[in-house]
Amino acid sequence: MMHQRLLIACLSLLIADSALAELKSDYQLNYEFTAFPEESAVNSNNTQRVNSSVSLLGEFFSSWDDGSQSLSVKPYYRYDENDNERSHGDVRELIWNKVADNYELKIGVGKVFWGVTESAHLVDIVNQTDSVEGIDGEAKLGQPMVQVLLERDWGNLDLFVLPYHRERTHVGDDGRLGLGLAYSNALYESSNAEKNIDFAARYYAYVDELEYGFSVFHGTSREASLGFDGVNSSLLPYYATITQLGVELQYLLEGWAWKFEGIHRDGMPGNDIASAFGNLPVINGANLLIAGDESYYATALGFEYTQVGILDSRVDLGWVVEHLYDSRQDKAGAGAFEHDVLFATRWAANDMASSTLLAGVLYDYEHTDYSLSLEGNTRLFDIVTLAVEARVFAPSQANPQYQIRDEDFVKLTLGYYF
Amino acid sequence: MIKKLLTAGLLFSMAVASIAQTPQEKGLAIAVEADKRSEGFVDSMVKLKMVLIDKNGKEYPRDMRVKAIEGLAGAGDKSLMIFDTPKDQKGVAMLTFTHKETADDQWLYLPALKRVKKISSKNKSGPFMGSEFAFEDISSQEVEKYSYNYLRDEILNGVDCFVVERVPFDKYSGYTKQVSWIDKAEYRAHKVEFYDRKKSLMKTLENKDYKQYLDKFWRPSLSEMTNHQTGKATKLIYEGYEFKVGLDESEFSNNSLKRAK
Repeated sequence: MMHQRLLIACLSLLIADSALAELKSDYQLNYEFTAFPEESAVNSNNTQRVNSSVSLLGEFFSSWDDGSQSLSVKPYYRYDENDNERSHGDVRELIWNKVADNYELKIGVGKVFWGVTESAHLVDIVNQTDSVEGIDGEAKLGQPMVQVLLERDWGNLDLFVLPYHRERTHVGDDGRLGLGLAYSNALYESSNAEKNIDFAARYYAYVDELEYGFSVFHGTSREASLGFDGVNSSLLPYYATITQLGVELQYLLEGWAWKFEGIHRDGMPGNDIASAFGNLPVINGANLLIAGDESYYATALGFEYTQVGILDSRVDLGWVVEHLYDSRQDKAGAGAFEHDVLFATRWAANDMASSTLLAGVLYDYEHTDYSLSLEGNTRLFDIVTLAVEARVFAPSQANPQYQIRDEDFVKLTLGYYF
Repeated sequence: MIKKLLTAGLLFSMAVASIAQTPQEKGLAIAVEADKRSEGFVDSMVKLKMVLIDKNGKEYPRDMRVKAIEGLAGAGDKSLMIFDTPKDQKGVAMLTFTHKETADDQWLYLPALKRVKKISSKNKSGPFMGSEFAFEDISSQEVEKYSYNYLRDEILNGVDCFVVERVPFDKYSGYTKQVSWIDKAEYRAHKVEFYDRKKSLMKTLENKDYKQYLDKFWRPSLSEMTNHQTGKATKLIYEGYEFKVGLDESEFSNNSLKRAK
């Protein structure tokens, strides 16, 4: 009798522990309105000066086995009224996580972030950028991965096997912030194309106020070399096989946060924008022409200085200065920062609405041109947030970003959480 | 280390000649005794409702959970705070390693970016999540971080209390001093007054509805901080305290911060 009761108790515990694991769900619905003061200088397909878009992110989470196993699923979809390429869905996350005594294992589609600086995310390479989401490149596509995390006295070591390459999303020929050109199917250096197996590892640790990290990646570049498909008159993304070494440092000293990120990358094709498609990947009839490999390095170095409670108020004021450098200089791709300095100021109101503001100028001292940015966030009600983003581009003719000179915009995003 | 020797020396001299105690010695002795009575909690978990109250009395509730583990062999405590609401902040988590002698280590996890940011301990005087509590008010209170001065005995709401003043050693503290009302029976802080850098009264904390757990540890069910300069207030309502739940050191790490739910 006693035994039976025990057995039943044990069984019901087991069932409660596994099969009836609680499923938590959350949703975020965003409505985004963007206004462009000017028509595009290069894109005649889209003369719209306003653009509306909605997106929905679902988050489902369940854990069992006393919390040591969990499953996280995050489907995402965006609809854009003008740009078919911007209307897209993605599995941001679909990952099983197992926490064991001396390691942690993650298998599925996931996301990780590496790095410390504000102006550029040089070392962050595991996830592909979902670049139709925003110009800051902070939105990422879900990345298929097997990840092993080791946390030891000597630091943290994360090991990755990445069995599938996601193509970067690009604004379509109907979209603003693009060139008005369509994209051809991507070409790969690897004969396995997108199914090439990539590897990555990152070690990070800290001593007192110094945090440091070293990373290595070998596989298909997340950044494409953009060339020209002469057959279809479209842009040609070419993904090379690369090896990247990365370093991250952050040192906190009283109100100062000193930051450094540096990468050395080997395997990208050489590039020479100045000589109009001179060395870019080109499909010319049946032939694919690609320049030889080139190695280069890029750095971001700077600081953020924070004054807590300025003028006896609750407001924190931060000053951000970062210098960006790319050893390819004028031969770097359009997305790179070859010789730029970011000056920015960050405000945190520390109010009930958690209001923040980041305003900055990115100054290119070789081309003597600049871009301005402003990003603000606040909470309107308990479950509604408002974000504002504004950008002004003032590139010189010598700058590859000259094409987007009339793409200045103001974007308002209402977020609803349920 | 010197402070520890000093503490030990003071306690020893108190034992031999407790009559000749200076106000500084008595203040320190009270703080040491209060600290001793909360020793041995091993670990704890609690649900926390933080209610921000504006000048007009309108309330803005936030939900969070706090896990803590006691430091071993003289090390400071570790804590992990996880935010459930407001919903746009859901999954934001903060990991704190308290140190007795040096500045605390603190990391903030931002789930949307999957980014862990180490925060400067200079920010300790800043408001915690828009509330009237500063970061330094909610962090583990180590005896070694203050100098003490016993002021007087006083009956507060019918409870016989010591009134003790403490001055932070840290130059980044937002306070010049704190005055605490600590009851003589159980060494619990019932009221704390906070004086700002201009030495004027800035805030008052009241700890209410103390409950005893495991026949030893007293915790308030409600902490209310009133800011006299802005007219705003914040309530912390503690629900379902649990002690000695078997938390592991590995649950207070960089990786655990990223999987905190």
